[in-house]
Amino acid sequence: MLGKLLKFDLKYGMKVFILLHVIIVFASVLGRLIFLDPLSFSNPDGALVSQVVLFSSAIFFLLMAACFCTWLIIAFRFYRNLFTGEGYLSWTLPASGIQHLWAKIISGCIWYLLNCFIEAGCVLFLVSGSNVTEACSHIAPEVTAELGIPLSTFALVLFLLMLVSGPVSVIQTYFCVVIGQLFPAHRILGAVAAYFVSSFVIQILSFVLQMGTGLLPEAFFIAQTGSDTQFATYFFATIGFSCIMMFIIAIIQYCVIHYIMKEKINLL
Amino acid sequence: MKPILECRGLTKKYGSTFALYNLNIALERGQIIGLLGPNGSGKTTLIKLANGLLRPSGGQILINGSEPGVETKKIVSYLPDRNYLGKHMRVDEIMAYYNTFYDNFSLERASGMLDALSIDPRARLSSLSKGTLEKVQLILVMSREADLYILDEPIGGVDPAARDYILHTILTNYNENATVLISTHLISDIENVLDHVIFLKSGQLVLNASVDEIRTQHRKSVDALFREVFKC
Repeated sequence: MLGKLLKFDLKYGMKVFILLHVIIVFASVLGRLIFLDPLSFSNPDGALVSQVVLFSSAIFFLLMAACFCTWLIIAFRFYRNLFTGEGYLSWTLPASGIQHLWAKIISGCIWYLLNCFIEAGCVLFLVSGSNVTEACSHIAPEVTAELGIPLSTFALVLFLLMLVSGPVSVIQTYFCVVIGQLFPAHRILGAVAAYFVSSFVIQILSFVLQMGTGLLPEAFFIAQTGSDTQFATYFFATIGFSCIMMFIIAIIQYCVIHYIMKEKINLL
Repeated sequence: MKPILECRGLTKKYGSTFALYNLNIALERGQIIGLLGPNGSGKTTLIKLANGLLRPSGGQILINGSEPGVETKKIVSYLPDRNYLGKHMRVDEIMAYYNTFYDNFSLERASGMLDALSIDPRARLSSLSKGTLEKVQLILVMSREADLYILDEPIGGVDPAARDYILHTILTNYNENATVLISTHLISDIENVLDHVIFLKSGQLVLNASVDEIRTQHRKSVDALFREVFKC
């Protein structure tokens, strides 16, 4: 049953997802061929920097838009399939609420991870031209000295963090939608409120825990003054802390969703 | 044999309002049962509880002896009182969907009914008229070999000719051991097909009797009795 649900979940929104990602792949190819490849970084001046900043910003916003639309597909599918008129069909299929939930979590993660890989592929393609890699190799020692780790390692860690945050983001989205459905007259408003309230609580909790563990930037850098690898140490410590926090919060949110999907569904 | 649907002290509250209160009924198999009552009497609430779309505030509702769940959903075929199909789908896609999820769905029967009504299987649901969409929904529901068909207002939004077709479809597509529970306001249209009626008022049972009993004891049609009981 889970496989059947998953099949139909993945089918939904496929056209929009493909169209969206064809656009960003196309934009990346055009950006590389028309803009990046003809650039020469041998004598960088103000005009070149401005152009690169503008181009990078445009690509950044395009990738963010694709990411946001992917998130919308995931959130909209979950809400529409389970809590609108379509819910009358979904909830009367011979499948349990938990099977529905897992089908949605797995399909959401697949969409999210596909989006991450395509976006990372686009970025990699954009910066893999010989002129860009050569320019990067010139500044690599300085960047490594500043970061305490090579730029490639830094990018890889950020990419892995993005992959890990995928399932967490999917669970958080479902958590907000499910909380919202406890307020039948204001489901969407309830979901938005749940997002802001849960984000606020997580921020406060994170701040308190960072204070307790000495991971606040000010406290950390004062304690580590003089060390060559202080940024890398802080970076990895923060990422480790974030991953543990995300994991714990995702488990708590999953438990709440599980309980509501099993015991509290009221389709009015 | 266990009743196909049984309510034991079933209660459902919305806030401080009781939609159903301490309802006790048992439906036998092989009957067409009318679930009748004015607006707000609790008919749709009872139907949603039977389908696991709502959770009871008190008491129990049992389908073939079990609380609504995966097993009961295999034997209950439900037609909601609203459009419940994704409008982005085509008719053949929704049929494939039913065929995938319900082992007792007959694709052949559904295709036959679509042909009889000249409904294009490639048509998008969003392009269908309200009446045609209701017919498609009914075809999907009645193409299942279910033990209990629950039809919420199946003839409410269609013209008299379509009503006849729908009633004909119901009568010719359920086996004699199955039970059909029909909720409607249009009593005179369905009275002739009913074996049994349940009257609900303000979430409580007012009458639970066979149509023959009503005719012999009250010497009235179901429609006339309904008008008398629920006179404003």
